[in-house]
Amino acid sequence: MNRRTVLQAGSLGALGLSMGDLFRLQAADNKAFTQASGAKKEAKALSVIQLHLGGGFQQQESFDPKPEAPVEIRGQFGVTKTKTGDHLSDNFPRTAKVADKLSIIRSVVGKVPDHGIATYHLFTGHTPTAVIDFPQMGSVVSHELGKRTEMPPYMMIPKKHGFMGGTGFLSSAHGPFELGSDPGGRSYQVRDFQIPKNVSIERLDRRQTARQIIEQRIRKLESDPNVLNTMDGFYKDAYSLLTSPKARAAFSLDDESEAMKQLYGSDVVGLKGPDNRYHPKGLAERLIVARRLVEAGVRFVTVTYGSWDCHFDVKRSTLDQMPALDAAIAGMVTDLDQRGLLDSTIFWVTSEFGRTPKINKDAGRDHHARCYSMLIAGGGFTRGQFYGASDATGAEPARDAAPLEDLLHTIYHQLGIDASKELLAFGTRPIEIIKGGKLVNGLIS
Amino acid sequence: MLASEADSVSFRRDVMPILFRAGCNAGTCHGSARGMDGFMLSLFGYDAKGDYFRIVNEMVGRRVNVAVPEQSLLLRKAIGAVPHTGGELFKPDSEYYQTLHRWIAAGAPDDADDVPDTVGIELSTERFVFERGGERSAVKVTAVYDDRSRRDVTTLARFHSNNPSVADIDEHGRVTAKSAGDTHVFARFSRFTAGVETIVLPPAEGFRWPDPAKNNYIDELVFDRLRKLRIAPSELCDDETFLRRVTLDLVAHPPTVEEYRAFMASTDPKKRADKIDQLLKDDAFADYWTTLWSEQLRIIGGNYAPYGTHVKAASAFHEWIRRQIRSGRPLNEMVDDMVVSSGSNLQNGPANLYTMLVHARRLNPKTFAADFSQVFLGIQIQCAECHNHPFDRWTMDDYYGFVSFFSGMKRKPGVETREQRIYYDTKASPALHLVDKRPMPAKVLGAVEPAKHNGDPRRALAAWLTSPDNEHFSRNLANRIWAQLFGRGVIHPVDDIRVSNPPSNAPLMNALARRLVESGFDLRSLVRDICNSRVYQLSSQPNASNKLDTRQFSRSYLRRLRADVLMDSFVAVTGMQRGFKDWPKNTKAIDFYPRTGGDTARAGCGDVFMETFGRSPRKSVSSTDTKLEPTLSQTLHLMVGNTLEPRLSANGRLNRIIKESATPEAALEELFILSLTRKPTAAETVGLRQLIGDAVNDEHVYRDIFWSLLNSTEFSFNH
Repeated sequence: MNRRTVLQAGSLGALGLSMGDLFRLQAADNKAFTQASGAKKEAKALSVIQLHLGGGFQQQESFDPKPEAPVEIRGQFGVTKTKTGDHLSDNFPRTAKVADKLSIIRSVVGKVPDHGIATYHLFTGHTPTAVIDFPQMGSVVSHELGKRTEMPPYMMIPKKHGFMGGTGFLSSAHGPFELGSDPGGRSYQVRDFQIPKNVSIERLDRRQTARQIIEQRIRKLESDPNVLNTMDGFYKDAYSLLTSPKARAAFSLDDESEAMKQLYGSDVVGLKGPDNRYHPKGLAERLIVARRLVEAGVRFVTVTYGSWDCHFDVKRSTLDQMPALDAAIAGMVTDLDQRGLLDSTIFWVTSEFGRTPKINKDAGRDHHARCYSMLIAGGGFTRGQFYGASDATGAEPARDAAPLEDLLHTIYHQLGIDASKELLAFGTRPIEIIKGGKLVNGLIS
Repeated sequence: MLASEADSVSFRRDVMPILFRAGCNAGTCHGSARGMDGFMLSLFGYDAKGDYFRIVNEMVGRRVNVAVPEQSLLLRKAIGAVPHTGGELFKPDSEYYQTLHRWIAAGAPDDADDVPDTVGIELSTERFVFERGGERSAVKVTAVYDDRSRRDVTTLARFHSNNPSVADIDEHGRVTAKSAGDTHVFARFSRFTAGVETIVLPPAEGFRWPDPAKNNYIDELVFDRLRKLRIAPSELCDDETFLRRVTLDLVAHPPTVEEYRAFMASTDPKKRADKIDQLLKDDAFADYWTTLWSEQLRIIGGNYAPYGTHVKAASAFHEWIRRQIRSGRPLNEMVDDMVVSSGSNLQNGPANLYTMLVHARRLNPKTFAADFSQVFLGIQIQCAECHNHPFDRWTMDDYYGFVSFFSGMKRKPGVETREQRIYYDTKASPALHLVDKRPMPAKVLGAVEPAKHNGDPRRALAAWLTSPDNEHFSRNLANRIWAQLFGRGVIHPVDDIRVSNPPSNAPLMNALARRLVESGFDLRSLVRDICNSRVYQLSSQPNASNKLDTRQFSRSYLRRLRADVLMDSFVAVTGMQRGFKDWPKNTKAIDFYPRTGGDTARAGCGDVFMETFGRSPRKSVSSTDTKLEPTLSQTLHLMVGNTLEPRLSANGRLNRIIKESATPEAALEELFILSLTRKPTAAETVGLRQLIGDAVNDEHVYRDIFWSLLNSTEFSFNH
């Protein structure tokens, strides 16, 4: 027993309360609201780092260039040969060099080319309905697999976006923990993560103990055990995060060398800003923190980068945001591989949809959900593969169409979760994690 | 028989329903906006003419082959004789196949003009009540046509259950009870949906109706329902709980220690009713409701606001709403004013309905109509932009007619940069129907004839909308008022009212709406009725029969305080003001709305605390923009963030309590009443006294206890 539990046992023992009452949440069965469907699967991957490019990412200027197509489709950029002999847009020189470690999927099929609906679809695997609010993938992972360490299982860097949905019918205990601060920013400090200087650890303990005493009354009412368990859990989690040096270090960039930051492209800039100066994009630092969090035991980290809704001037959007993205992807894959983490970590680059094949009158591209591209590496996904293909203009999949549901199903599979399993919404209503998804055998090895 | 009497098969009457029943024209199949595998049908068959063309004429001889009917792709795909993404839908010996075959063999004729149109469907029963899981029954569906003919269409209807774990319904309309609860099962045919209330009772053994006292009609209707469902309501809550609950709900902060002592000391049997009356007169009641309206209407002010949403306009609108609510203006008149308003956004507050609901360069009539309907009717009509609403009665005609009310809504720059003048352009042409591009003159929902008007149809719209006869309007308002006091609407969510989302207690919903109308749309009258009901005053402690109830109001549900109410509660209890950027120092959180230096289209909550605790960023009119789920970030903020730490010892309030209390126990009692509106239990006094130990004059230990009171679930939830 550590000092803290002794303290609590001491003061609460007098009230006839057991430790069991205090640590109710700990005991709460993670699967209490889950309908099991067969044996637990074996996990190939332990964690996911999702890099989300919100707004709709231009596949033509990145993963699926069309060098043979007329200029109104091809756009302004050429191609670069990858290590595996295929081609990426010439905006991706660094990624091309590590193409032997990753998969590019060029035949992703979404449903609705609307930011709100498509983002929700990507994050939950379902299009929105009025009756059921579906949980995000990270929340499902948290619900199904629980914590690996003291770290919250699901995190967002720097913060979430309204379109992404929430924990849906799962408890908010499975919601993402947001840093609330950008690791790439100048004054990076995780929000509300510092014990006030005038509060000693003894006093923090005393506060926790007093709170436990006061919680007993509402506990006895048993009005809503789920809510109470969730609140209990948050206080317990917050306490261990605040008091664990290891947890605190996981959020910090202090131990990372300049060379490491440059590997991720911390010095790569895009176009000049309105102030006529170049600004680093901060993506490198976001991804490094993501890797540190995964090393510390976080299961699902979502990192957001950029603003990709390029209805106007796709060239400008590309030149400004793509170089840092290329460097960061290459850096992330290289770093994970060097650390031996690539096999247990899925690195997944997403967008809610792609862009239309033809460049519009404003030199931009519009929303296109019928066929777009994603990058996925590690966690048992095949290394050095270009999966599926779009047709000559990139309008439709030409072969191996990969519906979003199938992709999500496959990622769940690698994490050891059977996505055809049903979760119980509202305690009674069975809902499949992913409806109608199939394992894409061609993607995994 | 599926085919009509004369044995001649009609495309609309016989063929289309089969395509509907088999799911061919569903959104996931050929009914998708782009069709599927090269073949497109209109979603759920809203465009019969187009569907006929695509089936018969688009690829002559392929989809239907009149010479060799069984070679028709329509048939071969449906029975799975050739590869079909949708698989086998029915067998060659089925009536569906036979009917299609006969139609094709007859030359796949189109209908003459006089084919009877479906005008409604009727179900064979209004309610199923099952004694236990496993019991079965069935529903029959009858279609009614405009020539008054009727036909059994059970084999052509589609069925679904709102909660298959209570009762499920199969493709034949057979209902199977599963487990105790209440739900609805639905049948859909043509553009109509109809539901049957379905109750599966818990065992009668061990259930005794406690026959609680009834304070008013609300109790009668809720208890009547509970009794039918074999759910016993919880006990009446105690005075402490009532005082805290009603004060938080009506004036958005907890009661003071003085209010607590006075209320508890009173022996007047009418003291709860008196307290409600007193709170209804408080300005804070009006301020709170002003914010609830302001949130729905998306009031955000910008310092740079080219679209008419300048801070000055926001303030004009917000303050106008406040004046209406403070003065007790009938809600229908208030809405009426907004709908017909024109003129300057800076001078005429209510005209900002046409800036704030938009936050964009252009007022898009379709988007505006959808938001307008969601706010004032609780109905989401936008589905009907592209197809008749699949789960409600609204057709594309309804939708486009409704959109046309706003097709002339325009804004032009005023005399200064912040100003926009709102006006109706009487020359604007009405919206065009998506399918045949015919102009659809302004028409209220469900009406046959277009609205009569002299160029600006909004007068007619407002008259229909806010009329006491418009149940959609009164139900929406009554339901939102109820939801504000219970954390859940009788229809839930409050802004998705449709045939397939019925009230959990229909007589209650009707009575609340009727009462609102009879009171002259008086907000306070309905709130007074609700708060005086025993139902509102029930304890949150469940009993064996109502533990699982989340929708019949048999007990008080735990509700986390809204972000703004929570902040104001911290301020009230600690005595330390908060203030918001760009606002006067003592601004209450409930009086605060987002203001931004830039463009309001991209504004957020305007405050980190508000964002962390889920206040609506007003990005949409959706009720789900307000988040009440607890999160880890919230806990961390309350544990170590900058909201509580400086407040624990603010203004010497805590010190004064310690000094003025004769004993540590007395100080504890004072702190509990201040924070939680109750005295500590014996166990709490013992436990906390032990924590204080010898340090009876050490402010730190009290500060830690104060911290834990403010961090308790009881503080941040209404219960």
